[in-house]
Amino acid sequence: MPYWYYDKKDLQNTPSFRDGIPTETENRYRKEGARFIIDTGSKMDLGYNTVATGVVYFHRFYMFQSFRTFPRYITACCCLFLAGKVEETPKKCKDIIKVAKSLLTEEKFSSFGEDPKEEVMTLERILLQTIKFDLQVEHPYGYLLKYAKCLKGDKAKLPKMVQMAWTFVNDSLCTTLCLQWEPEVIAVALLFLAGKLSKFEVADWNGRSAKHTAWWDMFVEDITMELLEDICHQVLDLYSPQTQPSGSDSPPVASSTKLPKNDKSSVTPPTSASPVIVPAKPAVTPLKNGAELKPELAKMDMRFTYPGYPGLPPYPAVYTAPPPVLPAHPPPPLVYAEPPPAPPGARFPPVNVPPPNFFPPLGKRPPPPRAPLPPRPYYPPP
Amino acid sequence: MSTSSGSSSSQSPPTMASISDVSALFQTAKKYEELNVIGTGAYGTVYKARDLHNGGQIVAMKKVKVALTEDGIPLSTLREIALLRQLEAYRHPNIVRLLDVCHGGQSSERDHQLVLFLVFEHVEQDLDSFLKRAPGPLSENRIRSMSYDILSGVDFLHSHRIVHRDLKPHNLLVTSNGRVKLADFGLAKTYDTEMKLTSVVVTLWYRPPEVLLGLSYNTAVDVWSAGAVLAQLHTRTPLLPASCDSEQLHAIFRLIGRPPREEWPAGVCIMAESFPDYPPKDLASVLPRVHPHALDLIKGMLVFDPAKRLTALDCLEHPYFTEEPLN
Ligand SMILES: Nc1ncnc2c1ncn2[C@@H]1O[C@H](COP(=O)(O)OP(=O)(O)OP(=O)(O)O)[C@@H](O)[C@H]1O
Ligand SMILES: [Mg+2]
Repeated sequence: MPYWYYDKKDLQNTPSFRDGIPTETENRYRKEGARFIIDTGSKMDLGYNTVATGVVYFHRFYMFQSFRTFPRYITACCCLFLAGKVEETPKKCKDIIKVAKSLLTEEKFSSFGEDPKEEVMTLERILLQTIKFDLQVEHPYGYLLKYAKCLKGDKAKLPKMVQMAWTFVNDSLCTTLCLQWEPEVIAVALLFLAGKLSKFEVADWNGRSAKHTAWWDMFVEDITMELLEDICHQVLDLYSPQTQPSGSDSPPVASSTKLPKNDKSSVTPPTSASPVIVPAKPAVTPLKNGAELKPELAKMDMRFTYPGYPGLPPYPAVYTAPPPVLPAHPPPPLVYAEPPPAPPGARFPPVNVPPPNFFPPLGKRPPPPRAPLPPRPYYPPP
Repeated sequence: MSTSSGSSSSQSPPTMASISDVSALFQTAKKYEELNVIGTGAYGTVYKARDLHNGGQIVAMKKVKVALTEDGIPLSTLREIALLRQLEAYRHPNIVRLLDVCHGGQSSERDHQLVLFLVFEHVEQDLDSFLKRAPGPLSENRIRSMSYDILSGVDFLHSHRIVHRDLKPHNLLVTSNGRVKLADFGLAKTYDTEMKLTSVVVTLWYRPPEVLLGLSYNTAVDVWSAGAVLAQLHTRTPLLPASCDSEQLHAIFRLIGRPPREEWPAGVCIMAESFPDYPPKDLASVLPRVHPHALDLIKGMLVFDPAKRLTALDCLEHPYFTEEPLN
């Protein structure tokens, strides 16, 4: 079974990096691709789940392929197209392309070639092979709502906190977090972050037991404060001003002058934010290890430009709100909508796709524990 | 066939190789080496193959042809593969491991097909050949543990809303340790869109009455089929062999009795009167020397009305399994 989690070293040594694309540039491409999927998906009224699935495909794809070989916007389109089918919210390929065209400059759209639909069709097969047909993807949203439901504190602040965490999850799609941590862990971290920033104090939680030192112990084992902060910083870094102007829009294809070094690149957030004076922020309720946390939080606040704070970032919240009612999670329905049959005479270019030649290390972490299975009546019911 | 590539590069300055160009470059080494055909079913061929990327490990590779639609790979196929992949995360001991899924590119430009390869762990043999090769009756313990394996696998599928639809000894694999694993499920929609090889005879022996009568069906079909297989574990011969639909129904009613007219399902074109008023047989006479618990379980699985049939979970909790520990 494919394993989709990488450590930071793996995340630097990507096919694009080996292809001469600096990490910083790759991260920008990832961000732009993800953002484009989000924008296209929103414009087509695709749900957050389909959009997120498309973005995860996109990030996984570029763990095996280079941005130099596969331009980001057409890949993004294809990821959204495939996610639509897998999540049973299919959109016609030509409609996705139409929306994509409306969102891109002519130059960017030129990477779709002369017959964009055929290109996407071909790419679909490459994408499937590359992500190894591992199509079912879980996202932090459901966990976020489930965890939030258990938290007890100022009732008036809770919705705002959840809303903020939801937006963080949306925005986290622009990072490589989905390649680093399971959705449960991301949900905990971003709920934690939103709690801190909206001053929501977790007074207690449902299901608390003596062995829990923090609410998340109930959901995920062995989460350290370092880990939480690392995840939070990766998301907060999205809001900090770009260190690099978004210069060239596409990697030079087969340029002879390869970009050799990328010493500026760093996956981890800068440890010291340069010329800004840390303002004395209102003390945040210390946790158990609040001592280490406080200075970090001051730094976070300083760089944090969430909508509603002074100095708004050029970063729109994509979705207005989490669904008003906490959705139950029904298993996928058994009803399948059949797409129309191929018209006679449609043609496809020949394609011979290899297995990706880079295999992720296996079995570093076991899959997260599964909930016990519910009792089962006959299905479908009479 | 010319693709968009050639002209697109001349058109826009930041030249981008087209996807078709790029994919053509990837004519690299194969990942699996086919050795020989293990089985040919109605929908695909299963090969024994060597996994060249994993130390030559022997695998079973199933080739399935998928018709491409105007919008690429059909949604139903993608859903089914997604589900199979997702199930794999549970590593259920009674489900054959799905190791990899890949495709062989488009087989030809004229037929809009994609050949899918589903790569499974290779299991020694199927239950059909296991039973044929068995030198004598299986021990009671062996039968009980194999029965439990089958029902655990079925219950697992049902808990994920998958109906196997075709449980039979050919689709049950027996490992070298004598454990049973379910194979050949989860692609019903994909199969449906494909032309079936008409030359392959589909066995009816494990088919429940509601399917033979053309009624709608649910997970209970698998319990019926499993019941027929369980009986076969005791005797090593099929319980209800017949050669056509109507003969199969006769065979079934001769065993369990023809249901009284008031229990005959509505909306069936076949009338209850098409069959003699067979009385139910005593299962003990058909399965001699079989423990009463085993008989009771099988009887509960071979019930005409799907709603009154045991569920797979009921079966697992039956005294046949719970009264003595399995070893
Ligand atoms: N993992 C495996 N290891 C060893 N043999 C296998 C494996 N999977 C399948 N086989 C063999 O190949 C045969 C056909 O496989 P399978 O049932 O998957 O294909 P099928 O085309 O659906 O066949 P059918 O229509 O007869 O059910 C099986 O009966 C079994 O003998
Ligand atoms: Mg079969």
